[in-house]
Amino acid sequence: MKGARRTDGPAWPERDTLQVLHHDTPRRSAKDKVRGAALYSHDRRVPGMLYGRLVSVPVPRAEFEVDLAPALAIDGVVAAVKLREGETQFLGQAVAAVAAETPELAEDGARAVKLTFRELPFAITPDQALAEGAPQVRRGGNHSKVRPKGDEAATEEALAASDAVIDVTYRVPVQHHVCLETHGVLCDYRGGDEATIYASTQMAFGIPGAAAEVLGLDEKNVRCIVEHMGGGFGSKFSLDTPGRAACLLAKQAGRPVQLLNTRTDEFRAAGNRSGSIRRVRAGANEDGKLTALRIECEKLGGIGRGAGGPRPYHYEPGASYFEERAIHTHTDSSRAMRAPGHPQAAFASESAIDELAYRVGVDLVAFRKANLSDPVWHRQLDRVAAEIGWHDHPHRSAPGRGDGWIAEGIGFAISAWGGGGHRGAEASVSIRPDGGVAAMIGIQDLGTGVRTLVAMIAAEELGLRAEDVEPRIGDTILPPGVGSGGSVTTGSISPPVKIASYNARKAFAEHLASILDCPSERVRFQARRVFDADTPGRGLTWEEACRTLPKTGIGGHGAWDAKLQGSGVHGAQAARVRVDLMTGRVRVLKMVCCQDSGLVLNPLTWRSQVNGAMIQGLGQALFEERVLDADLGLALNAGLGDYKIPGTEEIPELVALIDEEDTREFPIGVGEPPVIPGPAAIANAVHNACGARVRSLPITPDKVLAALAKLEKEG
Amino acid sequence: MAEGRERDAGLSRRAFLKGAGSVAAGGALIQEVAAEAASPSRTIDGATTIEFTLNGAKTEVEVEPRTTLLSALRSHLAIPHTAAKEVCDQGSCGACTVLLDDEPVCACMTLAVLVHGRAVRTVEGLAVNGELTPVQRAIAAEDGTMCGFCTPGFVMSMTACVERNPAASAQELREACRGNLCRCGTYPHLFRAAERVSRELTEEIR
Repeated sequence: MKGARRTDGPAWPERDTLQVLHHDTPRRSAKDKVRGAALYSHDRRVPGMLYGRLVSVPVPRAEFEVDLAPALAIDGVVAAVKLREGETQFLGQAVAAVAAETPELAEDGARAVKLTFRELPFAITPDQALAEGAPQVRRGGNHSKVRPKGDEAATEEALAASDAVIDVTYRVPVQHHVCLETHGVLCDYRGGDEATIYASTQMAFGIPGAAAEVLGLDEKNVRCIVEHMGGGFGSKFSLDTPGRAACLLAKQAGRPVQLLNTRTDEFRAAGNRSGSIRRVRAGANEDGKLTALRIECEKLGGIGRGAGGPRPYHYEPGASYFEERAIHTHTDSSRAMRAPGHPQAAFASESAIDELAYRVGVDLVAFRKANLSDPVWHRQLDRVAAEIGWHDHPHRSAPGRGDGWIAEGIGFAISAWGGGGHRGAEASVSIRPDGGVAAMIGIQDLGTGVRTLVAMIAAEELGLRAEDVEPRIGDTILPPGVGSGGSVTTGSISPPVKIASYNARKAFAEHLASILDCPSERVRFQARRVFDADTPGRGLTWEEACRTLPKTGIGGHGAWDAKLQGSGVHGAQAARVRVDLMTGRVRVLKMVCCQDSGLVLNPLTWRSQVNGAMIQGLGQALFEERVLDADLGLALNAGLGDYKIPGTEEIPELVALIDEEDTREFPIGVGEPPVIPGPAAIANAVHNACGARVRSLPITPDKVLAALAKLEKEG
Repeated sequence: MAEGRERDAGLSRRAFLKGAGSVAAGGALIQEVAAEAASPSRTIDGATTIEFTLNGAKTEVEVEPRTTLLSALRSHLAIPHTAAKEVCDQGSCGACTVLLDDEPVCACMTLAVLVHGRAVRTVEGLAVNGELTPVQRAIAAEDGTMCGFCTPGFVMSMTACVERNPAASAQELREACRGNLCRCGTYPHLFRAAERVSRELTEEIR
């Protein structure tokens, strides 16, 4: 177990003594968000601002030339730049950009840019990419080298000796992030030596360097502000194409330029979760033990590498062998997306585990526990099983059939993640004579509740309420934050904010020692009062104490410390579904997640995160898939009218359970792990309900009906 | 009532629709619009100034026939109103929901010229003297906001529902949000907010 309690210096107090942390605390930005006062990069307006727009070639692959003159001839189009020369590699790859006085004129300008192009042969599907004579996608070829891991001979031997064996293929399509705020940047540059970048980004501190390079400025003169941002989910880590284009246009025009992806740009060229094809051969014995697992994985990351995920997915087979390779196609590169690789890996592994449990006729929960040694998963599986009603469920080791019209079933899956922070983040806390407290760290808040956490940590240390502390975040003039990916944010920012608050408290205690006439170690901060521990009845209110401060106030600084955070979480989920046997439509009735993550700092926002992750898992399970026309290379569902994400009508009862038996007294990030098990749990529940095994996501009605028809044919 | 307002402004809905249709079809603006004795009409060609009430205040803005209400609010007003968000630009997500003569509409699917003489309300205009409405309070209290980009749309959909029926049930409030999408997954929290709004308003009526 990483991380440990310490007795001296800053430490997280015992759980039951916490006054602010570990209590539901309203999201700090909620009031601004409900009254439309929260300003996103999309909402920034500065004097003289131009609106930018990207231009792309309407085919997947082409040799092209760009003529900007017709765009610049339009009255109101102020700047135009080329972004690329030569060839395009995927549909939607930007080749030019224009900036104009209004969004409408920018659109006119983008349409007026003259593109001369010759379409080149392309490979959109894995089959096209692997066919003989296929057009080359990457210099190294259309697939990466096979990376083997494990003992192939022993695995084959164990498979041959197993009581039950499966040999099946699971497919996960490309999924989109669908951040509601598209990728976009306002580059506030008006000539001169300085610029401010308002970016919708998961890594504010990565922006100034990248923007400075494009603008030809000194990095220290470029500031990035991310007051609020409308979702990232792994797709917003760099200045990116819209950001680079905005900077180039601003440089040319000498005026600020805001360039936001259109929703079409976003679907075609702002990243995605890689798809995967996994052939799984696995065996089990009648005693309920896994004997062997062999997985051959193909990652579908377009021109990118795609994400693999752990092998095996946490279960412990007797023998195992894995192969993995990336297949490249002329499609947009995959990017990190909430637990990269994990939902794909979990879908294959958990489906296979399920199939084997039925083959040997063992209770699905018992089978899982028999092949997992970590007791945390055992208790979490038991907890979600109890909550979903497993023990009263009639189909625990053989699937049901339904009543001819509908069928109900339950499915399970597990997950694991790191969630620890890393060095680099710093924080400052300042206390003013008027009683105000500011806690400052430049970190961005993606919607997870970071702003609230910063205030809570400082308030706990200073004996205040969360609302007494003003959190200042999302700005590179503040102490540095880290990139928000890998669920690292909580583990990265909690230690420096904690230490800065601790140091501010120590400094304030020393200042107050003479006033309270006691040694500084005896000064206590509690319930908005300051007093000598030996005479708690006397003392000062927080405001009275602050009035004794010099004009400049008092404060503290803190850097990251590994001891104040930790890593390593587990999770288990259960889903209950209803399958309409006539139409094949699946409705998720309930999802339960039990998740450990050390000391949960704000249970309210923690539950929001976990519920939201389950909903995204539901979307991946039932609805989400990028659809391309393999012959024409066109994107067929590059809009929210065609690419379905969960809406109000599809939301099941959701239960997010904190695993309170996890007594680790330090925080661990939780953003990603709960998004992992959902698709597998739902697919398993569909099978449990009616015997239809759908091995390809999303589980659409046609696939369910096809699986039911197959079942009927086989009798 | 809406007709009356249009007439006062000297513009008819029919004329606008004809103009809008020709723009949507990609052709030039209609140059001729038959004069209607009962409702005087005007041809719109290029930029034109429209007048409407925005959150109760008389507002003027210069727009083209193609300018959407959303673009007018966010990018053409002297004081930009950016609470309504552009997310899908095709009426699929509800993030740009505003009230047009008290009816919820997608501002991305509404031409700005069509609101001439009418009343538009956005989320910025709901709180009076900083005091949040019951819908806003409930969504904040139940943690119905995560990234918050969809929030203004949900607020407006629920607001229209309770204004239409102050005794709206939680289920009716939920149904009022069928056109709104959230990616962070705040739905269960928004549903609890709907329950809270319904409870509070019902108690108030009693």
